[in-house]
Amino acid sequence: MTGDSRATSESPRQKSIATPETICAGCIAMVEKDGGYRRAEILSKKTTKSGTQFYCNFDQFNKRLDEWVPLVRVDFTKEVEWPNPDKDKPKEGKGKKGSAPSKKSVALKKGQKRPSKASKNSKREQSISVSEATTPHPWTELPVELPQLKIEESNERGAIDSNAVATPATAGDEMDLDDEYDSQLAKKKRADGNGLGGGYTREQEIEKLRTSGSMTQNPAEISRIRNISKVQFGKFDLFPWYFSPYPEAYTQEDLIFICEFCLNYFCDNKPFTRHRQKCTLLHPPGNELYRDDHVSFFEIDGRRQRTWCRNLCLLSKMFLDHKTLYYDVDPFLFYVMTCKDDQGFHVVGYFSKEKESADGYNVACILTLPQYQRKGYGRLLIQFSYELSRIEKKLGSPEKPLSDLGLLSYRQYWSENILDLIIACNEREEKITIESISEQLAMTPQDVEHTLQALKMQVYHRGEHKLVIPDKLIQQRAKAKLKKKRVLDPARIQWKPPVFSAASRTWAW
Amino acid sequence: MTTRKVRFKKLNTKTQLPVLREDQIDPNEYESLTNEAQIQTGVEQAEENEYHLQSILKASGVSSDQEIPVPPPQESDIKYEQLYSRKVQQTVSYLRFSQTVEECVGCEYDMTTEDAEFLTGYNRGKKQAVRLSEDDFERLMECFERTAAFQAPFAVVDKAVVPYDAMMGALRELDDDKLMGYAKDIYEYWKTRRQEAGNKPVHPSLKFESHQETDDMDPYVCFRRREVRQTRKTRNRDLQSGEKVKRLRREIEEARQLLLTSRDLELKKQEALLIESKIFDRRAKIKQTKVKLGIKTNDEDLINQKVGKRCAFVALEIAANLLQPQKRKAVEPSPTVRPPPTPQLRVPLRPDARSVEPDMVLLSDKRADKENELRLDIESKVQNHQTWNKNHVDLTKGPLSPVSQSGFERRYRQVKAQFPLTPPASQEDAEPNEGNTNGSGVGLELMSHQDRSLLSPSPQPEFRMRIGRLGRMWVDRRGLFSEPFDAVGNSNDRWKYDSDSEDETDVIVMDPNDTRALKFRATIPLPPAHQLTANRRYAYPPGYVPRTGAISQPPIRMGQSQPQAQAQSQAQGTSS
Repeated sequence: MTGDSRATSESPRQKSIATPETICAGCIAMVEKDGGYRRAEILSKKTTKSGTQFYCNFDQFNKRLDEWVPLVRVDFTKEVEWPNPDKDKPKEGKGKKGSAPSKKSVALKKGQKRPSKASKNSKREQSISVSEATTPHPWTELPVELPQLKIEESNERGAIDSNAVATPATAGDEMDLDDEYDSQLAKKKRADGNGLGGGYTREQEIEKLRTSGSMTQNPAEISRIRNISKVQFGKFDLFPWYFSPYPEAYTQEDLIFICEFCLNYFCDNKPFTRHRQKCTLLHPPGNELYRDDHVSFFEIDGRRQRTWCRNLCLLSKMFLDHKTLYYDVDPFLFYVMTCKDDQGFHVVGYFSKEKESADGYNVACILTLPQYQRKGYGRLLIQFSYELSRIEKKLGSPEKPLSDLGLLSYRQYWSENILDLIIACNEREEKITIESISEQLAMTPQDVEHTLQALKMQVYHRGEHKLVIPDKLIQQRAKAKLKKKRVLDPARIQWKPPVFSAASRTWAW
Repeated sequence: MTTRKVRFKKLNTKTQLPVLREDQIDPNEYESLTNEAQIQTGVEQAEENEYHLQSILKASGVSSDQEIPVPPPQESDIKYEQLYSRKVQQTVSYLRFSQTVEECVGCEYDMTTEDAEFLTGYNRGKKQAVRLSEDDFERLMECFERTAAFQAPFAVVDKAVVPYDAMMGALRELDDDKLMGYAKDIYEYWKTRRQEAGNKPVHPSLKFESHQETDDMDPYVCFRRREVRQTRKTRNRDLQSGEKVKRLRREIEEARQLLLTSRDLELKKQEALLIESKIFDRRAKIKQTKVKLGIKTNDEDLINQKVGKRCAFVALEIAANLLQPQKRKAVEPSPTVRPPPTPQLRVPLRPDARSVEPDMVLLSDKRADKENELRLDIESKVQNHQTWNKNHVDLTKGPLSPVSQSGFERRYRQVKAQFPLTPPASQEDAEPNEGNTNGSGVGLELMSHQDRSLLSPSPQPEFRMRIGRLGRMWVDRRGLFSEPFDAVGNSNDRWKYDSDSEDETDVIVMDPNDTRALKFRATIPLPPAHQLTANRRYAYPPGYVPRTGAISQPPIRMGQSQPQAQAQSQAQGTSS
């Protein structure tokens, strides 16, 4: 997931030149990516026929771009930052460390904003400490064992490091970003200080999972190394982005097979072929709620269709970082979007929804499968989630945190719909309240405000709040409308909000 | 850029906002207005500043050709059409479907490459007819796997291998004789496969919770069960459900009884019908005989008979009901289900048994009859009573009156129109005081506020006091004239405006022994005169100001008894 990884960590890290033999998991080295060198944390090391390979997480890049790199892509002429022996200890006084001398000039420039960054990294450290200590399967290690291991490591390297002890960490921003952007970022972070995901302990995290029904997870839980390399699904081969808890034996396979309809998984072509001869499913195993020429929607109860929903979750976990499969699928409904051809109704994407959301979320997890991405399906999924909220006469919002792609999709949906609404208002020269926007679109007022602010439309001018539509947005919207993007027809939805009795709530999930 | 010091009013979601286009306000102004927004994106903080996301967000709103790079999917080289050969049927209506995956995938065991190799080896040299097919092989394997999972759920830990004999039951359920021939061989193969896999299922399965400590950190453990939300158990809930169960039981029992009774009823009815038809036959015979013999008289017989029959029927019914009184009781709660013939009971039986159709009975007649009957009854009872008491002499003075104590019994005394100068100290005077010619304090207090003018024309009011059981005091009054009771007015209010002199303080009727009054008095703060002692006792903080207002205006004015009450409350205060 994260780009910032250890790169922005606060505690000073020892640096020295490494050799292919000494470099190990936990080191931060310069690794070639997309034609340039980029700081990368080495998470794992393996030796294959073609030589040693390192699993690298690149600074400021999403985890989905992590990859196994051969030795040649690692730059051994640059110093390597060694893993910190005492990073398990509780951190104190991280706010004090100011502008540190660094080999990168960019980093120097940004010294002053580090404290805010650092305070947020405390949580990240936790997650790192879980997985980094050992090589092949870091996640199987218990955290209790870690401190010991680390100390051994540090002893080994004692001699090399001693001269570098005084060297503090670098701030890892390699990107040549302008100052204004940076300060904006810093401010944003400060604002977010106590916001989403702010420093949970593991116990709190599990408790939160248990009580809130959340399907998202915290970084501390994330297994950072992708375990499935390739998936055969329908007509496509997919390359997973993140870890997914398929049976451990499957991680040995180069390719796993997933049946497009029942979503069962197979480690080999033979059982998969055998299964295909027997499997009669041609669509998601639930009731169809919506159908037009293009797509259909199915509603599937996590409790009734446990196997199918589990399979769906395992599949989607490969593409959703913040999804957790810690708890079972019972308290969720799954709304699956399909497109139809002669072979059947192919799953395009889905969103899950808590049967009863304490926080009023109308979406828990949402995913368009990679082979269908960038084709406007995400917008349909989002629209459907809001149409359901509208039928329920509720205001909905997706569960946080959003992924980067999630944020962009939602922003797009929100801004398009809000723009349409207020451009019409502007033409009629009417005033509008945030509340009425939120009611018309079944969005929460917070999301409406969020979007208005993100598009810089909500301004405070001459003692009065106003909505101002930038010209470029109007033009852009007009252009987009010419493209005739697909939308759902709410009249085609045949759905009544399911009701769950108190008894089923007590006993059924 | 000038730093603006505008304080933003917080935007209310209900505020009407004017909607303007960018060109409708001064562009220079607009520029300066728009950079303060700090937007919470809802993205994980650590990810928020990722390079690709930020570069897109930075260009927010601008149609971006930028995309977040993802590992691209690629076309697969599998034979899709061959694998997915089933064709979907077109339906007009929306699909409705509730079968589970397990119900749709047929045999759950899927042959692996290894299995296929084994099977070809196993079938080699066999004739086509006796070869084991892939489907049958899978069925056998599924059977073994399933039985093993059922019989040895902890096989991974205890290394238990389900013996072949234990498989027999499940094998027989396959209900396929030709499979039995292969079962033993395939079992041996299955056993080796299991052993290779560490006695786990041959197909790797998801890792569920094993309730060990390692579960928590293991990312492969997934789909844990959520703890069941406990409903709160309360005594009330227990009681309620207990009641429900009891009621259910009762109702079911009633229903059962009802059924039994109605069954009986139907049987009786059948019997009655049979009898009736017999009678009909006989009568027909009689008629014939009569016609034959030319008997003209006694035609009435035929009809008389019928009334008699009905009579018999009713008697039968009553008998039936008497026989099963408890059943009858069961019928009672639902009178609507009562058997229809019962109204016959009410048909007055005519002594002359004249006709089948009863005469019209007038309600007024009925009423007169009833009244007559009642009057007669009462008269006879009066008569009876008189005869009973004829020679009776009562030697007791009312058997239930308390034993009289000489000297304790009092005569009625006249009320003297005199106000007690010192109000009786309630504690002492309330106690029965023999020989006190003035009567008890209660009596006095009760009488003291009587309006003399009201009483003067009437005979002098008198009263006496008695001691009842448990020392209860009874004050009997007579000669009191009381106004007709005002339904609306409070009895205490009756005297509100009655005082004839201004000097006279209002007196409120109260029982000094009434605990409510005692309680109330205890709550009254001490008057200022008593503050001294109170201060000494409670040591109020220096800033404390006693609320004298409350004392000077007590909510209920106690009249003459007030000082006494205060004294009392003080006494209580000191003693406590």
